[in-house]
Amino acid sequence: MFPDPADPERRIGFEIDLAHALAAELSRALGREIEARFAQGQWDKLPDLLKTGRIDLVLNGYEWTPERAQDMAATLPYYVYELQLLARADAQGADAGWAWLDAPERKAVGVLGGSAAERYLAEHHPDVELVSYDGNTNSMGDVVKGRLDATLQDLPIALFFRDDFPELEFVGPPVEPGRYVIFVRREERALCAALDRAILALRERGELRAIYERYGLWTRAQEDPRYLSLPAVETGPEPGGLGAVRAFLARNVPTLVESAGMTVLLAMLSFPLAIALGILVALGRLYGPRPVSAALAVYVEVLRGTPLMLQLFVIFYVLPSAGIRLDAFAAAILGLAINYSAYEAEIYRAGIVAVPVGQMEAALSLGMSKALALRRVVLPQAVRIVLPAVTNDFIALFKDTSVCSVITVVELTKRYNIAAMTRPAEVLPLAALAATLYLAMSYPLSILSSRLERRLRP
Amino acid sequence: MIRVRELRKRHGAQEVLRGITLDVHPGDVAAIIGPSGGGKSTFLRCLNGLERFDSGTVEIHGTTLRAGLERSLEARLQREIRSRVGMVFQQFHLFPHRSVLENVTEAPIHVARRPPEEAHTRALELLERVGLSAKAHSRPGVLSGGEQQRVAIARALAMDPEVILFDEPTSALDPRMTGEVLSVLSDLARDGLTLVVVTHAMAFARLAANRVHVFHEGRVVESGPPEQVFTEPRSAATRAFLELTG
Repeated sequence: MFPDPADPERRIGFEIDLAHALAAELSRALGREIEARFAQGQWDKLPDLLKTGRIDLVLNGYEWTPERAQDMAATLPYYVYELQLLARADAQGADAGWAWLDAPERKAVGVLGGSAAERYLAEHHPDVELVSYDGNTNSMGDVVKGRLDATLQDLPIALFFRDDFPELEFVGPPVEPGRYVIFVRREERALCAALDRAILALRERGELRAIYERYGLWTRAQEDPRYLSLPAVETGPEPGGLGAVRAFLARNVPTLVESAGMTVLLAMLSFPLAIALGILVALGRLYGPRPVSAALAVYVEVLRGTPLMLQLFVIFYVLPSAGIRLDAFAAAILGLAINYSAYEAEIYRAGIVAVPVGQMEAALSLGMSKALALRRVVLPQAVRIVLPAVTNDFIALFKDTSVCSVITVVELTKRYNIAAMTRPAEVLPLAALAATLYLAMSYPLSILSSRLERRLRP
Repeated sequence: MIRVRELRKRHGAQEVLRGITLDVHPGDVAAIIGPSGGGKSTFLRCLNGLERFDSGTVEIHGTTLRAGLERSLEARLQREIRSRVGMVFQQFHLFPHRSVLENVTEAPIHVARRPPEEAHTRALELLERVGLSAKAHSRPGVLSGGEQQRVAIARALAMDPEVILFDEPTSALDPRMTGEVLSVLSDLARDGLTLVVVTHAMAFARLAANRVHVFHEGRVVESGPPEQVFTEPRSAATRAFLELTG
């Protein structure tokens, strides 16, 4: 589903039509008025929203998986999707179909994080570089821009956006049929059964087909009986107690720790840049000619007054249309450095102003140029003054690296999201584990900061 | 050595310097005295370009500063003058992040580009001269006010200036520390250095200076050898000032 281009407040899409049809069917069966209401939520967080009770069902291209089936109650499939590979029409060798993916040069393929497409590629094409996105259109756009070689999408999405991305072409036949189901809270067995009956009734009467045809989504797979029911969930004896904890840790600690390394790398590379840039901006504001200092004041206000996430979006998705193409890692470093340079500039400006004027005068009186006096006399003292504030900012930046997940950088928060998507039942222990890792990294910085503060107090 | 002609400066509506004309000759020890607010410190700061002025000229050893110079030329002339003219401040302004020795070697190494070894040897000699060689590796923060001011004098001397300007060098000090600093000043005067000293220490002006200039409301109201200015003041303003200071 997607906003109606004619009225962005209104949503249209086959699942909206389906929701209304289901509500009508439920009303008829139960003899009371039932209405489908749309609720906005981040796609990969819909199961969490469901559990909090803010929504009652998830009907949004969620495929049935054994892990989800253990965590939530699933209805019968309402749609059988397949996965479609898309590449630029001019891509070399793409006419070879799926074999193209396994050609010697490594291919970068965009997928929706935690989706069946991601799992399929990891399993069948392990040499492909997976790039994980929060939505569908950004990865299609990145294929057009050349940042990705291809993207693997659910067929209905590939069909729906066909006209928006004329540069893209279907590669090979669709693969790996799967079931879109509706998820409800595990304890809502009655609701689940009522929805099952409604889905069967709609299919019986041809209403499902009518809806799908209206959107050009009807495929032969919709009639394949193998996919119209749910597979049995193997409820093998789960290792209990200590064994379960050990299995959980073995599954998650190595990947989370590895992504924590990316978090550290992002912080370590962007912060020195932010400081260097910040000092230049502070000096420009204090000592530059009027136009320069005015322009820098605007720089600071714009960067402080707009969200980091938006700045990252602009650098990653908008700059390429101006010919500046950065990979996700470089864009993340640049975005963090520029955003934090505004804060560092203000801190350093305050620090420089806090150094007594007499220091500059004494340095000038010894024959120093203003630049030399700044470098040898004023800045070293300003650094001492601002050190605690700067350490504090480093901790803040450290946590802000999590925002980089929106531009496909897989750091700690993103890895947590992916793991939680795959095994929704483990959300709580996963969140605890990720939080522990963040704390383990930032707490030493905190201690360092307060120690510096104590030592530098006059 | 120093020739100042018709120097004028305003701070907004207030005219701080109203046409100062004054000469300092090589080897002179010039004391500038007078009531507060008379323009003494402002005048001194105009001599090495720490303050801009509105009209008139300051000529030091053939380099002339005037009002309205183009910025980069002005900066060059100022640096030329400052490398030959030392300055000592009321509040010392030592660099707190460097040791006493580094304070003294800072300009010789980084401005005059002398070899560090040579600068160190010379700095230790100068600290010896002001009686502080034992504190060479201390931070300025642990020194007494008098000691800090003596370090500041050594720091100025390290650039081998032809003139040193002193801006009320003892005003922030208690009487005992004032004595320490004034004895260093007298010592420099005996060695033939040219000094311009804005001071409230009348005893110093009387004993160590060979010229005394009395500033009052932005003008030089009286100039002369100390024995004449202190015993037979010609101007009413001088008489009133001397009566007040006893």
